[in-house]
Amino acid sequence: MDPIDLKKLDPDFKHRLARELGGEQIKKCFSCGVCSARCPIEKIEPEYNPRRIIRMILLGMEEELLKEEFLWHCSTCYTCQESCPQEVDFTEVIFVLRNMAVRKGLAPAGLGAARNLLDQQGRMYEIGDFENEKRKEMGLPEIKGNAKDYRELLKD
Amino acid sequence: MTPKKVQRKEKEEPRIGVYVCHCGLNIGGVVDCARVAEFAAGLPGVILSKDNLYTCSEPGQELIKADIKEHRLNRVVVASCTPRLHEPTFRAACEDAGLNPYLFEMANIREHCSWVHLHDKEAATEKAKDLVRMAVARSKLLAAQEPLEVPVTRKALVIGGGVAGIQAALDLADSGYKVYLIEKDPSIGGRMAQIDKTFPTMDCSICILAPKMSEAGRHPNIELLTLSEIEGVEGYVGNFTVQVRKKARFVTDSCTACGDCVKVCPQVAPDEFNAGLSMRRAIYMSFAQAVPSTYQIDMDLCLNKHGIIACDKCFQACQRQCVDYSQQDQILTLDVGTIIVATGVDVYDPTPLTEFGYRKFPNVITSLEFERLINAGGPSGGNLIRPSDQKIPKTVAFLQCIGSRSKRSNIYCSNICCMNTIKDALLIKEHWPETKILVFYIDIRAFGKGFEDLFQRARREGVSFIRGVPGEIIEDPETNSLTLIGEDTLLSQLYRYEVDMAILSVGIEPRKDSPVIQRLLNLSCAADGFFLEAHPKLRPVDTPTGGIFLAGCAEGPKDIKDSVTQASAAASRANILMAQGKVIVEAITAVVDETLCQGCGMCVKVCPYSTIREDPETKIAQVTQASCAGCGTCVAECPFSAITQRHFTDAQIFAQIDAITEEAPETKAVAFCCNWCSYAGADFAGVSRMQYPTPIRIIRTMCSGRISTEFIEYAFRRGAAAVLVSGCHIGDCHYINANHQTEKRVNRVWKKMERLGLDKNRLQLAWISAAEGNLFARKMKEIDEIIQGVTPEEIEKTKQILVPKKKGKGEGTEPKE
Repeated sequence: MDPIDLKKLDPDFKHRLARELGGEQIKKCFSCGVCSARCPIEKIEPEYNPRRIIRMILLGMEEELLKEEFLWHCSTCYTCQESCPQEVDFTEVIFVLRNMAVRKGLAPAGLGAARNLLDQQGRMYEIGDFENEKRKEMGLPEIKGNAKDYRELLKD
Repeated sequence: MTPKKVQRKEKEEPRIGVYVCHCGLNIGGVVDCARVAEFAAGLPGVILSKDNLYTCSEPGQELIKADIKEHRLNRVVVASCTPRLHEPTFRAACEDAGLNPYLFEMANIREHCSWVHLHDKEAATEKAKDLVRMAVARSKLLAAQEPLEVPVTRKALVIGGGVAGIQAALDLADSGYKVYLIEKDPSIGGRMAQIDKTFPTMDCSICILAPKMSEAGRHPNIELLTLSEIEGVEGYVGNFTVQVRKKARFVTDSCTACGDCVKVCPQVAPDEFNAGLSMRRAIYMSFAQAVPSTYQIDMDLCLNKHGIIACDKCFQACQRQCVDYSQQDQILTLDVGTIIVATGVDVYDPTPLTEFGYRKFPNVITSLEFERLINAGGPSGGNLIRPSDQKIPKTVAFLQCIGSRSKRSNIYCSNICCMNTIKDALLIKEHWPETKILVFYIDIRAFGKGFEDLFQRARREGVSFIRGVPGEIIEDPETNSLTLIGEDTLLSQLYRYEVDMAILSVGIEPRKDSPVIQRLLNLSCAADGFFLEAHPKLRPVDTPTGGIFLAGCAEGPKDIKDSVTQASAAASRANILMAQGKVIVEAITAVVDETLCQGCGMCVKVCPYSTIREDPETKIAQVTQASCAGCGTCVAECPFSAITQRHFTDAQIFAQIDAITEEAPETKAVAFCCNWCSYAGADFAGVSRMQYPTPIRIIRTMCSGRISTEFIEYAFRRGAAAVLVSGCHIGDCHYINANHQTEKRVNRVWKKMERLGLDKNRLQLAWISAAEGNLFARKMKEIDEIIQGVTPEEIEKTKQILVPKKKGKGEGTEPKE
């Protein structure tokens, strides 16, 4: 690992994050480590470390952080948020980071595919003849891909 | 105790001297002081006006003194820093030159002007001119005042018999004063008596405390009242009358503490002194060194209730016949001059933090329980044993910041837990050197004398310090051993440590019954629930209520040394009052004009100090001058303008409003700020150089309760674009609850404005504490936006329709224009 380079740090990053919905409490973290201690993801994927992510935010490691794949590992179980003594709302922070990453075009490829599917189908899984036949057998009406409403939502 | 009749009008023509201070570059670097002085010279009544580099310096003060004599000045105005800083300095200078100190006035052109408008020199200079104009206008209406002298009873009351209370009582008793030391428990000693050793010296706690306890018990000047609680407090500085309930002990003073009674008592309950780790009988003594060394009966536990004797075993066993089941509570009335509050703390109960399993897993204990286990006089005879199997643990974990620094419990640092844990870890090492000790921490705060040494010693002796508190404790149901799961934040690596015992290093918090003490003594509490001192730096043991002082943990978490230091400080402060034998009350009290009072009783209702009484026959209000704190709430409430607050009269405040609105009122906002919180908050914004827009002009009153609806409406009628009323947060008022009246009055004006179709947004109410400079600055920006949005039509309309409501004929309702 390279040493931290002050020139690459953006001290404004934490302020920008704090201005986003959900990121307001970020500067309150005092690194007690309870979020990491209770995180179920970190137990199977040690790369994902909430306390370390906050540390990176506070130092201003925007560039490094937003391109990290582990941002997408959080299962949003909210355990960190519930046990944080400083009410940092870390799960919300993860959403903010993901939004920032998407804006920079740094989202993982799979996410784009999922988005397209939603755009076309209005749901994450395609409904085909097989599913509709099953529904018919059970006396349920046929579902057609109608993504109009979702398209409205996803306009941006 | 009637005060001298207030002079309503000064007969002689005002001869005002104005001094504009540069304060080096602090003011002079922003405000054109020479221009301000020149402007002041043109104001009516001003005889001379000067600008100088440092007015507060010795030459600066000498200049004022010389001018008073040479030019026969009868008013002095200094435009410099906040009156909260140098008003006493200049008042003393005036007095030296033979001028009554109440004829001095200050304009705050530093904290409220030059420091907050660093980049707009022109606007800052204009604002400084306005501030000087306000001060000059007010100074003309000032009257000489004589402060009141009140005698002080030379007896003291100390509430709480912990180490702080004992120390305070001993200091005062040794100084020769009679002291009542009140303790609600059966024995004095407090928390310190429960602790095994003290840090950083590892002294035996009870060994150093017990001699002090017995000294307090036998001191001829100390009257010890245990099992006693205060029930009522009346009076004021130097003259308190306190009602005390001395609960029945059911054992007389002749008890020799032989213990024969205990052996026969059939009733048992958890022993509070041992944190519930052992049992005691219904007749018991808290601990061996208890003072007074007398047994007592816990009547909630005893079989004898409501005068029916079901069991007389202890009575039969006592050879000296000390047991008396018929004893009654006594109500005592004590007259004292000063009160020291040393009520101490409760220990945080970690049960709600379910992830640690306290009360669920037997081997998870608190630090207080640890103290009793490691203490030779404790339930295990000094052996650290696991509650599950009475075996000595081989691996022990300490968890820091339990109940501290968390929004889930208490947000503050409890101050003592780090060092207490380090001391405890060393104690274990001393007795069982092979024990593996892990301390899980967030930060180790070893800030005091000798603390860092002790910390290093613990590390040398092999105590492991792990940064990162566990998120969870799980128990092996077979062995009752515990697994701690967390992250070593220095390694960024998860850990799972298996230990035999976990000690939760719990924080301390205000006593559950401290709101009772707060109400009885008119104290204020900080947001954390501890009693608030009068000033955090310069009056750290005084309370806002005169004659009442704080000692020990009642004021905030602290260790034994700090508690003792503070107790001696509190005793010394009380001593000053009692040694002088009299106290001077500042001449800002309320005075009733008996010819105008209609006996409506409104003032009696709003007075936070219950210091106004209606004459039983004439119904005319009477203010007890010595206990009037000078908030002015009654003055603002009186519908007949029959009450005047000395030095803060209606006429003076109207004159200030006039001065603000004399030029371009549509560009300005009139702000009313209370001396203790919002004015101090504005000062803090200044000291911190928080920049905000220039339109605000602040009028200082002692309390926001002084602001009458007439002031607000008058400011609008004079064409002000906006009005701000500002005070301490609800619950933090320095005059107990006077700001509740402020809120009601502002609501009344809001309703009236709404009814008249006026934009009520132009009247703002803000609660700003002395520490919230940023909030003050933000509010100023908001108000600036409001001013930008107000149209000339709106202002004109307000002038026309916001007419005063008819009132009784009185002076000061409306100034003569």
